[in-house]
Amino acid sequence: MARNRYDIDEVLETPFDFNHLKRSFVYIKRYGRKMILALVLSVFATISGLLEPLITQYALDVTIPNKDVGQLVLLGVLLIAVFAISITFSTIRSRVMTVVGQDIIFDIRTDLFAHLQKLSFQYFDDRPHGKILIRVVNYVNSVSDMLSNGIINVILELLNVIFIMIFMFFVDVKLSLVVLSGLPIFVAVIMAIKTHQRKAWQDESNKSSNLNAYLEENISGARVTQIFTREEENEGIFDRLSNKYRKAWMRAVTYSNLVWPATDNISIWVRAAIFLVGLLVLSPTTVTLGTIAAMTSYASRFWQPIMNLSNLYNDFINNIAYLERIFEMMDEPITVDDKEDAHEMPEIKGDISFEHVNFAYEEGKTVLEDVSFDVKAGESIALVGPTGAGKSTIVSLLSRFYDIKGGRITIDGEDISEVTLSSLRSQMGIMLQDSFIFSGTIADNIRYGRLDATEDEIIKASKVVRADDFIREMEDGYNTEVNERGSLLSGGQKQLISFARTLLSDPKILVLDEATSSIDVRTEKLLQQGLDELLKGRTSIIIAHRLSTIKNCDRIMYIDNKGITECGSHDELMAKRGDYYNLYTSQHIEAAV
Amino acid sequence: MFQVKWLWQNLKGYRAVYITALCLSIFCNILYLTTPYFSSQIVDTYISNENAVENLKNDRNGFLTLIALMVGFTLLRTVFQYSCNMTYEISSQGLIYRLRTHLFKCVQNQDMDFYDKNRTGDLMTRLTGDLDMVRHAVSWVFKGMVESLTLFVASMAYFFYVDWRMALMLLAVTPFIFGINVVFKRVVGPVHVERREKLAKMNTDAQENISGNRVVKAFAREEYEKEKFARSNNDFSQANKNAALMRLKFSPFMDGLAEALSVIMLLGGGMFLINGSITMGEYVAISGLIWAIANPVRNLGIYVNDLQRFMASAMKVIEIYYSQPKIVDRSDAKDIDGRIKGDIEFKNVSFKYGRKTVLEDISFSVRAGETVAIMGETGSGKTTLINLIPRFYDVASGEVLVDGVNVKNLKLRQLRKNIGMATQDVLLYSDTIDGNIAYGDSSMSEEDVKRYAELAAADEFVSKMPDGYETIIGERGVGLSGGQKQRISLARALAIKPAVLILDDTTSAVDMETEMHIQNSLRNLDFDCTKLIIAQRISSTKDADKIIILDDGKIKEMGTHEELLAKKGYYYEVLMLQNEGFGKEAV
Repeated sequence: MARNRYDIDEVLETPFDFNHLKRSFVYIKRYGRKMILALVLSVFATISGLLEPLITQYALDVTIPNKDVGQLVLLGVLLIAVFAISITFSTIRSRVMTVVGQDIIFDIRTDLFAHLQKLSFQYFDDRPHGKILIRVVNYVNSVSDMLSNGIINVILELLNVIFIMIFMFFVDVKLSLVVLSGLPIFVAVIMAIKTHQRKAWQDESNKSSNLNAYLEENISGARVTQIFTREEENEGIFDRLSNKYRKAWMRAVTYSNLVWPATDNISIWVRAAIFLVGLLVLSPTTVTLGTIAAMTSYASRFWQPIMNLSNLYNDFINNIAYLERIFEMMDEPITVDDKEDAHEMPEIKGDISFEHVNFAYEEGKTVLEDVSFDVKAGESIALVGPTGAGKSTIVSLLSRFYDIKGGRITIDGEDISEVTLSSLRSQMGIMLQDSFIFSGTIADNIRYGRLDATEDEIIKASKVVRADDFIREMEDGYNTEVNERGSLLSGGQKQLISFARTLLSDPKILVLDEATSSIDVRTEKLLQQGLDELLKGRTSIIIAHRLSTIKNCDRIMYIDNKGITECGSHDELMAKRGDYYNLYTSQHIEAAV
Repeated sequence: MFQVKWLWQNLKGYRAVYITALCLSIFCNILYLTTPYFSSQIVDTYISNENAVENLKNDRNGFLTLIALMVGFTLLRTVFQYSCNMTYEISSQGLIYRLRTHLFKCVQNQDMDFYDKNRTGDLMTRLTGDLDMVRHAVSWVFKGMVESLTLFVASMAYFFYVDWRMALMLLAVTPFIFGINVVFKRVVGPVHVERREKLAKMNTDAQENISGNRVVKAFAREEYEKEKFARSNNDFSQANKNAALMRLKFSPFMDGLAEALSVIMLLGGGMFLINGSITMGEYVAISGLIWAIANPVRNLGIYVNDLQRFMASAMKVIEIYYSQPKIVDRSDAKDIDGRIKGDIEFKNVSFKYGRKTVLEDISFSVRAGETVAIMGETGSGKTTLINLIPRFYDVASGEVLVDGVNVKNLKLRQLRKNIGMATQDVLLYSDTIDGNIAYGDSSMSEEDVKRYAELAAADEFVSKMPDGYETIIGERGVGLSGGQKQRISLARALAIKPAVLILDDTTSAVDMETEMHIQNSLRNLDFDCTKLIIAQRISSTKDADKIIILDDGKIKEMGTHEELLAKKGYYYEVLMLQNEGFGKEAV
C-alpha cells in the first residue's frame, strides 16, 4: 500500500460488512447477564409505568364521582408507590448499563491497543500518527452508547412493537394490516436515505481522520513551522481541511436529519389511512366506530417505538462508520509475530549468523541480497558504507523488526524466527538513530530500559555514558520532567539518556545505530572508555560514520550494493585498497589538515 | 458563565442564524402542541360523537378536509423541524469551524516555552474532544434548555389561565427542582473536570506510544505499555462511570419531582373536583398537558449535567484560545526592507532556562557572508545560542543584533523569513519529498527542488526511489535513514535562499563523501548568506571564518582553525581525538 498522508482519504469498503456487527457481539456477550438484567428491569419499569393511567382513570371514573376522599388519598399513595418502583427499576437499569457501556469500551480499547503493539514498523511508517490516534481515542468513545444502551433500547422498542402488534391483531385484522402497510414505505424511505447517509458518514470519518493527522503533525512540528514562517500557509491548509470536514458533516446530517421527519410523516399517513379505510370503506358494515377509535390509538402506540427505532438506527449508521475503522485496525495483519510453537530464547551468548539472507521492504525492491556473515560471541563489528545502503536494515533484521524474504538468521544457533519476540528483543540493546523521550522524569526515561532498576543502577548507567553530570545540574536532577518536543534537552543529551536506557537493559548484544552522532568527540571518548569496560565479552554491532568511533572494532564490514562488499579488520581492509580504503582516506585527509 | 459569553462572542456572523434556530425551536414546539388537534377533531366529530354516522354522511368534505389538514400540517411541521435542526447544524458547525481554525492558529504561534510545557496528547484533546463538547452544547444543550423552558412557561401560563390554584400547586414543586439542581451542579462540575483530565491523559499515553513505537519495540516493552495504557484507559473509564453515576444519584429525585406533578394533579385536582372548585373540563385540560411541565423538569438534570461537562471542556479550550505567546512584535518594531544583509552580533548575552543559566556573557560578531562554526560539549549551550537569533527564546540580558538592530525591535516573521534553519531533531512531514523540500515556499518549481536537493546531496538517493520526488515519506521522516533525513532538512533550509543559514549538527549522520559534497555546496551558494554551523567534526568547521568553542554556556575559545590549533586548547584536543582513529600513519 502506498503511504498515506493527511490530505489523502483512506479507502473504505462501501457495503457494510456484517461481520463487524458479529464481532461487536463478542464484546457485548461478556456482559450478557447484566444486559439481560437491565432488560428485565426495564420491562418491569415499563409495566409499572403502565399502571399510572389505570389509577388515574379509576380515580376519575369512580372515586371522584363518589366523592370518596379516603380512596382518593389511597390512590395517591398507590400512584407514589408505582412511581417509586418504576424510578427505582429504571435507575438500577441505568446504573448497570453505565457500567456495562464503559466496560465494553474499555475492552475494545484494550484489545485495539494490544493489537497496535503487535503491528510492525511499517504500519506506523505508512500513515500519519494522528490517524491511528483518532481511532484509539475518539472513535472508540463514539461507539460506547450504541453498544450498550443502544442495544437495550432496540430490544425494548422491538418488544414494544411486537406487543402492540399482537394487541392490534386481536382487535381487528383488516385495520391492523392498514397500520402495517406503512412499514414497507418506511423501509423503502429509510433504505433510500441510507445509501447516501452511510457514504456521507464514512466520508465524515475520513475527513475527521485527515484533520486529526494534520493537527498532530503540526503540533509536533511547530518549530519547523515557525522557522519557515509557514504559519499562514498551514492555517490555509488547516482551514481547507476544517472546511472539508464541516461540509462532510453537514452532508451527513442533511441525510440523517431526514429520517425522523420521514417517519413522522409516514405515521400520520397511516393514521389518515385508518380514518379513510375505516370510516369510508369498512364502516359501518365490517367494523364498529369503537374499533376504529381503538385502532387509532394503537396506531400511534405502534408508530412511537418505530420512530424511536429510526432514531436508534440513525445513531447506528453514524457510529458504524467509526466501528468499521476500529475493526479495520484490529484486522490489520500482524506481519511479524511469534510462531505458534515459538519458544523462549535462552540467555544469549552472542554468536550471530546470517545465512543467505534476502530482504526487501517492498516487493521487487531488494535491499539485501544473499547476505552471509558470522559474528562470534564477544566480537565487535562495525558496519560502514554510504547512507541508505542497508546498514540499519541489517540490525533491524537481527531484532526481527522485519521478517526476511529468504535465508536464515541465527543467534547462538537458534533461528530467530523460532523464538518469541519478547525473549529475543529484551536481550538486545538497540540504540536507534531517533532517541525518543517519553514525557515523564529523566529517571523514568532511563528506567524504561529495565523497569525494576533501582535508583543507584540508574545513576550508575548514567555515569557510564557521562550523562550524570548534566542531569544533576538540571532543576530537579533525575526527577526533572521532560517531554518529547521539549527543548529542555539538547540532541546530544537525548542521545545520552537513551544510551543510559539501553545500557540499563543489560543487553547481551548491543547495537548502536549512529547512536553518538550528536555527541561531541570528547564526551564520546569518555563514553567509549566506560563502555569498553561494560561490553567486555558482549557482542556489539556499531553503525557510525566517524571512523574514530569504529577503529577499535574487531571487524569492519563495508555495506553497499545490497550486501557486504568488504569485510576484515582495519588493517586488512586498508591493505586491500578498496571501498573502505577510499572512505578512510577521504576522512583521513579531511581530518588531518 | 464566562464560557457562555465567550461562545456568544464567537457566534458572531452566526448569531442571527442561531437566534433563528432558537426561535424555530420554540415555534416547532408550539406546533407540536397543536398537531393532535386535527386528529382529535376527527375522532370527536366522526367517531365518538353521538351523531358520528350522520356527520360523516352530511359533511364528507369536512372529513376529507380535516384529513388533508392533518397530513398537510404534519408535513409543514416536519419541514419546519428539519429546517430548524439544519439551522442549528449550520450555526454550530460555523462556530466550531471558527474556533477550530482560531485554536490552530493560537497553537501554531506559541513560544517554545509553551511546547515545553504542553503535551501533544493534551493539546490534541483540546482541539478534538473538548471542541466536540462545545459543539454539543450549542447544537443540543442550549436548544434543549430553550425548548424545555418554552414548554414549561407556555403550559404554566395556560394552567394559570385555566385555574390559578391548580397552577400554583403545581408550581410549588419548582423550588425543590431548583434546589436539587443547584446542588447537583456543584457536585457534578468537579467530576467532569476530572473526567476531562483522564481523557487528556489517555490521549497523551496513546499518542506517545504511537510516536515512540520504535523504542517500545526495541525494548520489547509491549507488555509494559499495555499495562500503562490499561491504567489510563481504566482511569478514564472510571471517571466516565463516576460522572454518570453521579447523575444517577440525583436523577431519581429529579424524576420523582417530575412524577410528583402527576400525584399533585390527582390529589389536589381530585379534591378540587370533589368540592366542585373546578370542572371536569378544566381538570382534563390541565392533566392532558401535565407532560409539558413534567418533561422539562425531568430533563433539567440532563442539561445541567451536559452543561457542566461543556464548562469543563470549554475552560480548557479557552485557555488556549486566549493564550498569548510572550515573544511577539513590539509595537514599534521595525520593518525589514526585503532581505537582510546578514551581520550578526551577540553583545553580552545571557540566557536562563528556569533557574539554570545556560548562556553567560556571550559576545561575538559575524559579518555578512561569513561562516561561523560553533563547537562544544553536549549541553554546552550551542543550540540555545542559535535559537536566540530567530527569537525562539528571548535573551535574559544583553542583545542579539541582526544588521545592527536588536532582534527584539524587528518584526518577528520578517526576521524568520530571512533565516534558514536545519534543526538537530529533524522533523519531516508525512508528505512527498518534493513537498518537504518546498516547505518554505510551496510555489517552488520542480527544477528548483531538484537543484536544492543536489546541493544537499539528496538528489541521488531521492532519484533512486520508486516515485522519486513524489515519494511520500512517513511522519517525522520514518523510513529514511538519519543521514537521508538530514539532507532533506538541509535542502529545505537552502531552498528559501536565506540570508542567514543555521545548521544545527546537520551532517552528523552523513558519510564523509557526502559531507564533502555538502561543504562544497555551502561554499558555492549562488546567494549571499551568513552561515552558523554547529558541528562535532573538524571537517565541518575548519574552513570557517571564525570558530567558537562553547563550554558550559561561556565562550572558551574563539578564532580561526589555525589560531585555535596554535592555542592547543579544546579545539586542538578534538582534532587529536579525531585523528586518533587513523593510527600512527596519519601524523
